[in-house]
Amino acid sequence: MRKVLVIDDEAIVRISSKRTLVPEGYEVKLADSGREGIEILEKELFDVILLDLKMPDMGGIDVLKVIMERWPETKVIIVTGFSTVDTAVEALRLGAFNHIEKPFTPDSLLAAVQEVFDKKD
Amino acid sequence: MKNIFSDPNKSIAAKLIIATGLLIVILSFIFWYAVSKKQKEDVMSIALKYGNSFIDFSKDSTRESLLTVDREETQQQIENLSTPEGVQSVKIFDHGGKISFTSNTNSIGTSVDKASISCRGCHEEPEKSGALLRSPQKWSVYKDEKDRTALKIISPILNETSCHTASCHAHPEEQEVLGIVEAELSLALLDEALFKQRLALIAYVIVFVFAVSLFLGIINYNIVTKPVNKLARGMEHVAGGDLDHPVHIKSIDEIGVLANTFNSMIKDLKAASEQMERWTQTLEEEVAKKTEEIQRTQTGLIQTEKLASLGRMAAGVAHEINNPLTGVVTFAHLMKKRFTPGSDDAEDIDVIIEQAERCAKIIKNLLTFARATPSERGQIVVNNVISKTMSLVKNQEKFHNVKFDLNLAEVPLVAHGDGTQFQQICLNMFLNAADAMNLRGNITVTSHEVEEDGKPFAEVIFTDTGSGIKEEDLPKLFEPFFTTKPVDKGTGLGLSITHGIVKHLGGNIRVESTIGKGTSFFVRLPLSEQTT
Repeated sequence: MRKVLVIDDEAIVRISSKRTLVPEGYEVKLADSGREGIEILEKELFDVILLDLKMPDMGGIDVLKVIMERWPETKVIIVTGFSTVDTAVEALRLGAFNHIEKPFTPDSLLAAVQEVFDKKD
Repeated sequence: MKNIFSDPNKSIAAKLIIATGLLIVILSFIFWYAVSKKQKEDVMSIALKYGNSFIDFSKDSTRESLLTVDREETQQQIENLSTPEGVQSVKIFDHGGKISFTSNTNSIGTSVDKASISCRGCHEEPEKSGALLRSPQKWSVYKDEKDRTALKIISPILNETSCHTASCHAHPEEQEVLGIVEAELSLALLDEALFKQRLALIAYVIVFVFAVSLFLGIINYNIVTKPVNKLARGMEHVAGGDLDHPVHIKSIDEIGVLANTFNSMIKDLKAASEQMERWTQTLEEEVAKKTEEIQRTQTGLIQTEKLASLGRMAAGVAHEINNPLTGVVTFAHLMKKRFTPGSDDAEDIDVIIEQAERCAKIIKNLLTFARATPSERGQIVVNNVISKTMSLVKNQEKFHNVKFDLNLAEVPLVAHGDGTQFQQICLNMFLNAADAMNLRGNITVTSHEVEEDGKPFAEVIFTDTGSGIKEEDLPKLFEPFFTTKPVDKGTGLGLSITHGIVKHLGGNIRVESTIGKGTSFFVRLPLSEQTT
């Protein structure tokens, strides 16, 4: 089973992601903050993490650094509402696999996630 | 000159005239005194000469009768001698002072007064009498009872051989002086002449003093008072701040030199004052220029700050809106899958997706403008974007009564940047034009190539036939939230966003407007090298 963790403070984004990915055969878990995301990661491993950059208590870049340090095998796709080249480049430099912009369409999300597994295979 | 003597302390001329006048008066008095004295002496000497002649004549006239002891004849002679005018009396008295003959017959036989001037010489100093008596004549001048000058002259009758040898034997041989002839002559005429001469002299002196004073006064007035007054007036002008009145004095004396110095001084003063005025003016201009610069900078800073605030706000709004939009897009897609492709329902869902994506794009543009997000670098084919945007809006209800005139450059104008952003500009321009014309009128779009600072630009002119923009509103036109539209119609962001995008693309935008005729927006975008 391909496992995806969605870390986003916005419920509608989490739900949208889940509703897009589950019918396509992905196992999806949701975390509403960076901290909760790390707690979940400590219990089980995921193939892909969809990570929001702008969150209240712990920012996406900080979460990304932790993930890259502790679970370097996990692929992180940055999801941002105000993507700029700078933040995207910063995220990719830190080891993010890819990035997509909000508002994303189901197709663009699926394409981005699928790409991870395509490369793995 | 008429009032210089009213207060002599205040007039150099008056002081000079008074001083020289006094000097002349004193010198004239001394001159008058000396001349008068000399005249008197001369006159007296002449009078004495005539007096002596008279005495000698008297002695000669009576000599014969005295020798012959003819008393009557002698008396007659004496009386004859005293008849002419000016002869007061003639008398002969003996050694003892007894009057023997006199024109005044009453005093014959009386003695002369020893205290009289004729006798005093010998009787006061007897030891000198010998010498005195031997001197041929003695005289004195005195004032008579009528206060007229009179000359008394005496001459001794000395013993002669014929006297002591005469038959009468009246006088012994050893007697030296036999008697004395005395004549009293009036000098009243001379007095009168002298008096007249003195009067004439006084008159002359007065006339002289007056004439000299007048002459000095005129000279002083012309040489000193007049030029000094001119100088004083000139200085009063200068003191009053008037530097346009040089003093005109032609002389080359000290006052002339003073006037020239004064004139060059006021010339220098005027030059200095004009220089100062120029400096002040330059300073004022500089201050005004700097103030304007500061105001411009300040306006720019305010504008920048406003844009920055707008950017922060837009970023927040974009972030917040993108999340629900993600939901809308995702769930619309999910729903679409439930309907048969191509069905009406599926098409309706497409509209939702399309509009949601349009929202996303607008937000992205807003962010691009506000946060100067580097947009996708591409190329803007100016004419194509204009035509496309026009066809896009043309069918909308808002533009049903708007006529478009395109006057586009024949050569393709290609600028750097994102075509969507330029489309946004065109869209904003069209929407504003339609609103300005109350949805009815002409929109003319002209495009051509221009040069600015040696670089090629594409210039697109959007002209409407609307109501025009008030002159006082023009400077505020591109400020965020400035709008003349009703509250529910305009946000005041359209032109501000346009301005931001144009700036971001490296271009510029300006506006020209005439009330009642319409408005033209001039958008300039730098051309990419491929075009040229």
